[in-house]
Amino acid sequence: MRGERFLLLPGLLFLLLFFGYPLFSIAERSLAAPEGLTLARYAKALAAPAYLEAWRNSVVFATLSTLVAALGGLFLAYWTSKLPLRWKGFLMSLYAIPVSLSGLVVAFGFIVLLGRNGVLNQIFASLGWPRFDLYSWAGLFSVFPFYNIPLFALALMPLLESVGRSLMEAARASGATPFQAWVRVLLPALMPGILAGSSLVFAGMMGAFGTALALTGFAKNLLSLQIYSLVAESTFDLPLAAALSVVLMASTGVGLYLLALWERRYRR
Amino acid sequence: MRGLGWLFFAFLLLYLILPMLAPVVYSFSRMWLDVLPQGFTLDWYARIARDPKYVEAGLLSLRIALMAVATNIVVGVPTAYAAYTWAGRAGEGLRRLLQVLPLLVPPLVVGLGFLLAFNRPPLSLSGTLWIVVLGHAALGFPFFFRTVYAGLAGLEVGLLMEAARASGAGLWARLRYVLVPNLVPAVLSGSLVAFAISMGEFEITSMVAGFGTITLPLLLFQSLREDFRAASAVAAVLLYVTLLALLGLTFLRRR
Repeated sequence: MRGERFLLLPGLLFLLLFFGYPLFSIAERSLAAPEGLTLARYAKALAAPAYLEAWRNSVVFATLSTLVAALGGLFLAYWTSKLPLRWKGFLMSLYAIPVSLSGLVVAFGFIVLLGRNGVLNQIFASLGWPRFDLYSWAGLFSVFPFYNIPLFALALMPLLESVGRSLMEAARASGATPFQAWVRVLLPALMPGILAGSSLVFAGMMGAFGTALALTGFAKNLLSLQIYSLVAESTFDLPLAAALSVVLMASTGVGLYLLALWERRYRR
Repeated sequence: MRGLGWLFFAFLLLYLILPMLAPVVYSFSRMWLDVLPQGFTLDWYARIARDPKYVEAGLLSLRIALMAVATNIVVGVPTAYAAYTWAGRAGEGLRRLLQVLPLLVPPLVVGLGFLLAFNRPPLSLSGTLWIVVLGHAALGFPFFFRTVYAGLAGLEVGLLMEAARASGAGLWARLRYVLVPNLVPAVLSGSLVAFAISMGEFEITSMVAGFGTITLPLLLFQSLREDFRAASAVAAVLLYVTLLALLGLTFLRRR
């Protein structure tokens, strides 16, 4: 229906105005100098030890979060897919909640459970175990899987439902051990879903800062928090924040590109 | 081995359920100093319902979310429809773009981009309500588009429109009598998604909002440090909003 293509106009205009123009502004401000252009901010973004450490922390944090989400999500999705239909429907709805919940509500929940005086910490104390520190790296790693695992599981479920069960049964029927069936048959078949889920988690973790800010403030050196502190704190420096955002997007882009390359090998 | 699997599955479910339950239980308990909470109370809800600061923030969040949803409907519905009917490479390209866009451009970058782009003519919006509304609309747009597009694909709307055209209906008549009635559930679903995103949004808001636009999540962030009781009620309210939106989505999907 050729005549209706003009209906695309409002959307294109919207994307241009609210994604294109802001991204252009970021690039422009990161390069702008009183006279002409400068790469000084990129030099700083890529050479200053604090930013290098932030960049490394972010990449490691996002990668490890992705691994945790992949292991937990794969297990959760597989175990859920084996349940009767009624339960499956209920659990899928349950997994949708953490994914769409405000990060601050999540932070509140974890403070109540694992904060300094948290319920679980009191139980640990009465058992004579050491107290768990929510406001540490381990703390952040205990919080973020709360949405990453269900996010990953939901991304994987459709594929698992369509191919998983029958493939497993076929593999077991032809005499494969459970381990062989998993590694040789199921995992390769699920790889596109696993890599799609990994992209969601990796990209999300590279940019996330709200929950971390609510829990640890600026104590943990992540690239996203560095950018936010340059925007919102007394260290106000928007052009430098712009350069760091370009670095952040480029790093996320490289990660996503590698995952896409990997995914291509499994596409038929 | 199987028993161990069940145990780990139960542990994962507890891990997902307990942090959601905690704000709700906390918001209804008089005291929670030991392992178990003590006493039932509605005081913390009364505290935020009587405090104009919280009421205003709640109403503001609601207004922003509704405006962001309206923006998404006006812009997103024609776009999803055109991308769907325009089957070739261009429609597919747009779909791909909107799938990658929220991954490559996180809320943090949307917020910074808005600050830099809209603090000067021709579009100076900084400090206004509109910069928050449009920020939320931009953040929700890919998700709104995806939901409406999926609804269209499930309904064979293209076929219906083709049939209406073959029977001589003009564009306007086709939109009015074929597209809109078929589209309503998909648009409602998309609107609920965009609404839920906007109501809980903290990251973009905290970057672009002026002193005059304190939304409920911004207030929750303050309350986490200053008034943990009030914070529990606000967190619980935000949780209820998400639950209602998801219930609505499930209901629409069942039909």
